[in-house]
Amino acid sequence: MGASISKMMAKIFGSKEMRLLMLGLDAAGKTTILYKLKLDQDVTTIPTVGFNVETVTYKNTKFNVWDVGGQDKIRPLWRHYFSGTQGLIFVIDSNDRDRIEEARTELTRIIQDREMKDALLLVFANKQDIAGAMRPKEVSDKLHLEKIAKDHVWKVEPSCATTGEGIFEGLAWLSNNVKVPVAK
Amino acid sequence: MSVLPSAPKRRLRSQYPAESSENHVEYILVASFDIDHGSVMEHQYPAPISGDEHMLAELMLPDQTHMRSQDWTIFFLHKDTSAEEEAREERRERRRQRRRRKEGLDGDDPATNGGEANEDMEGLDDDDFDTEDEEDEEDDGIEGPPLVYVLNLVNTKQDITVKRGAIVKAMAICTRHSFLHIYKPLLLLALEEYFRVPVPETLASLYNAVNSMDLSLMPKLSPLEGFILQASDAKDMFVEKFDQMIKQRMIEDAERNSVPSSSGSNMSPARHNATKYVLPRDTHEFDSRVHYNGIPVPIKVPTAISPETVGDFSLIKLIQTFSTPHATSPQPFALHPHLTTSGAYTHPIIVLVNALLTQKRIVFLGHNRPSGEVAEAVLAACALASGGQLRGFTRHAFPYTDLTKIDDLLKVPGFIAGVTNQIFTHKVEWWDLLCDLPTGRMKISSRIEAAPVSEGVQFFQQQQAGLGGNPSIGAQIASAVTAGEGKGAVDLTGDNAFMDGLLQAIANRHGEAAIRSKWRFWVLKFTRLAAAFEELVYGASALYIGPHETEDGAGAYGVSGHGYVWNDDISRMKELAANTHRIEGWRVTRSYFTFIQDLARRWEKRPVRGIDLQHQHDRLRCARLSHDQSAAIYLAFAQAVEEAGPSYSPSDSMADLSSGVNSISMDASGELSPRRPPSEQLQYDTILQLLTVVPETNSGLFYISLGLFHPRPDVRIAVVKLLERIVEHPAGRHFWASLGRFAKLAFFRVKREEETGAGR
Repeated sequence: MGASISKMMAKIFGSKEMRLLMLGLDAAGKTTILYKLKLDQDVTTIPTVGFNVETVTYKNTKFNVWDVGGQDKIRPLWRHYFSGTQGLIFVIDSNDRDRIEEARTELTRIIQDREMKDALLLVFANKQDIAGAMRPKEVSDKLHLEKIAKDHVWKVEPSCATTGEGIFEGLAWLSNNVKVPVAK
Repeated sequence: MSVLPSAPKRRLRSQYPAESSENHVEYILVASFDIDHGSVMEHQYPAPISGDEHMLAELMLPDQTHMRSQDWTIFFLHKDTSAEEEAREERRERRRQRRRRKEGLDGDDPATNGGEANEDMEGLDDDDFDTEDEEDEEDDGIEGPPLVYVLNLVNTKQDITVKRGAIVKAMAICTRHSFLHIYKPLLLLALEEYFRVPVPETLASLYNAVNSMDLSLMPKLSPLEGFILQASDAKDMFVEKFDQMIKQRMIEDAERNSVPSSSGSNMSPARHNATKYVLPRDTHEFDSRVHYNGIPVPIKVPTAISPETVGDFSLIKLIQTFSTPHATSPQPFALHPHLTTSGAYTHPIIVLVNALLTQKRIVFLGHNRPSGEVAEAVLAACALASGGQLRGFTRHAFPYTDLTKIDDLLKVPGFIAGVTNQIFTHKVEWWDLLCDLPTGRMKISSRIEAAPVSEGVQFFQQQQAGLGGNPSIGAQIASAVTAGEGKGAVDLTGDNAFMDGLLQAIANRHGEAAIRSKWRFWVLKFTRLAAAFEELVYGASALYIGPHETEDGAGAYGVSGHGYVWNDDISRMKELAANTHRIEGWRVTRSYFTFIQDLARRWEKRPVRGIDLQHQHDRLRCARLSHDQSAAIYLAFAQAVEEAGPSYSPSDSMADLSSGVNSISMDASGELSPRRPPSEQLQYDTILQLLTVVPETNSGLFYISLGLFHPRPDVRIAVVKLLERIVEHPAGRHFWASLGRFAKLAFFRVKREEETGAGR
């Protein structure tokens, strides 16, 4: 219901703006997703030192996407990006079964932070092109999303950053579900 | 002039003596970005540097370094140097004992006799320089140990053979020299080498190379000399000191070669003779070389460094960055009395300098810019507010920092930080003034602390009632106080005119040195206004040390008065009122308190005390004076210089110059009479002090030379004598050289008249 209202709002007010924060363990594919969104190209990325930030316009929504490096030592810095974030994109390497637990711990910490209480949660089950990858259902189960994100609107989207599969669908979902359109 | 006039002959000391135990570079560090763990320290040479290693590695690999192949950063370490401090204190103590011994007061202290030979070896030639020793001892350490400056180079190399496609490594040089930019070419070579050979030995070879850099022929300058050198464009200013250093060295070389050393030195004399020493082409810089990996890298080290000058920034660049958008489409600032001293459209550079003076939290943001660029802006801002006089900015500067240090940063009351992360824009609670480099805009935070109501504000508001005789002037003064609140239309602070002149000078390509010198004057004026303000509002000021006319009718040397000079009382009140807020804001800051300490220390060493040279010169320059008044000033200048000289005795011919004037010793305590007995050195220093008041970039000797046209012959002769002293002076001769031809002709005419007796 909320979604249909915001859709109407978008129709009435035209474009809207949305601040997104993209997090996830190192090498999950965050930067590749960012530049797929920005350039619609598969770019070769190298590890992010600090962060990347890009503005992407898609379907009348201007997304301000922050992509923050994922190495364990820099994760404590993620909290500085929380305030003002309307949507969290959490990227999972669907082939990295060894670290799904670690991913769950980090996601729990983020999503339960007070400053993130109103944020939408989009989980990209990334790297679906590799055979044997976890499917969305398995990812949401292993992340205990039913439990840890029970106060949030969330969705798991299967994706492949290099081909672009699922990426724009995820963005559309965020755009449709954002509660208060920030008209500028 | 074929022969160089020379300073009083005494042995000159090197700024960086060859035998010094202090290294040029203390540490070399290498960090890399680990794809699993983030930034990690790889090697440290010669030993691990104390402090948080991980934090350091983070600083060495700045945000978004993966976006560019190369970046420079600068940051400072507040290293705990208690051990080094103790050693320094010990050296000082030994020196003191030696001095006492020399004076024969210490003969019966057996405790100091042990290990004496050792001490004397260390400071063998110290005894000649007691006075200079005092100077440099006091120069450092006033607000804690010196900073460790870190220059860092980071490279990102794409490499498809490694996991995740790139290698990111950084190498840093840690030094106590503020001119750390000289090491840039060496870091470029060494980091390249480290990519090839990633072993500690690569660090060691750089460390050894930079520390073998020879600066021993660089003469040590006194603070006054340093000041004059920096304010001067003359490429051979103080060249005689370089010359003397070389001569001293050649004598030493000769001695070493003639005395056969018992240890059997097998260095051939021929090799010594082959050593050629050359004078620098420009005395502002000293040329040296570092041999690294078989490559001789030329290095230029600045001879004189102002406090708060770190690295090679450009004030012009900083000023232009924020002036251009302001000129094309000015945007109003949110008002704050400390900052917007000329209303909502105060020039951004003035807002910045106000923020620095009143110790606000300042962030320079350069999103998508190399971190070296934000660091440069921070360093330039420090120098801007310091003007080579105020201190305490670099010590609280974070030329490059990032989110990892944010918690520590926010504990610092008043900081200047450089960042590249745009998240700072959204965090208005983290800063008071945000300076965005890409757009050239500044923003005052909506969360800035309000300025407290102060006595000064009340004082000037009461003037409205106080100056009952002329209510309209009273009202003008009262409204000047509130100019910062957006009501002032005219340029009461004079800042708009100043900025216009500055931008004009930049447009006319006057160069960095000229711009820095203009800022020096702005800051100097600000401190002098503050002194006048305090005397007016609070009745006394620690910002001025020197003779007060209140104590005695006439000052020493027959002139009285001190401080800033205004044409009339109303303009004085207006200007002080317009500056009230920022002066009050400054009065509680670190730079204010260190400035007071610095003044007291400088006073200790000041050659002439009984006269405020700056004040008297200002009077010559802008006040309307009667002939007798100007005569008194010229005679006072001449007298001050003459009495400092060795040839002076009270019954000398100078007596007739000061006729009609009660000769000195105005103060029973003797506080104002020179501490040092007249000597060649004192006269040399006195002239230096006079020259600091009349920099070549301003008016030079022009106003003094006007005394050659004074109706009173005794004044004209005194001025000739004074100018003669200046011409003979190693620094003064440059000032003379830039004096106009008209004045020079007058000089020779008066001199001739005197010789023929026509003048009397």
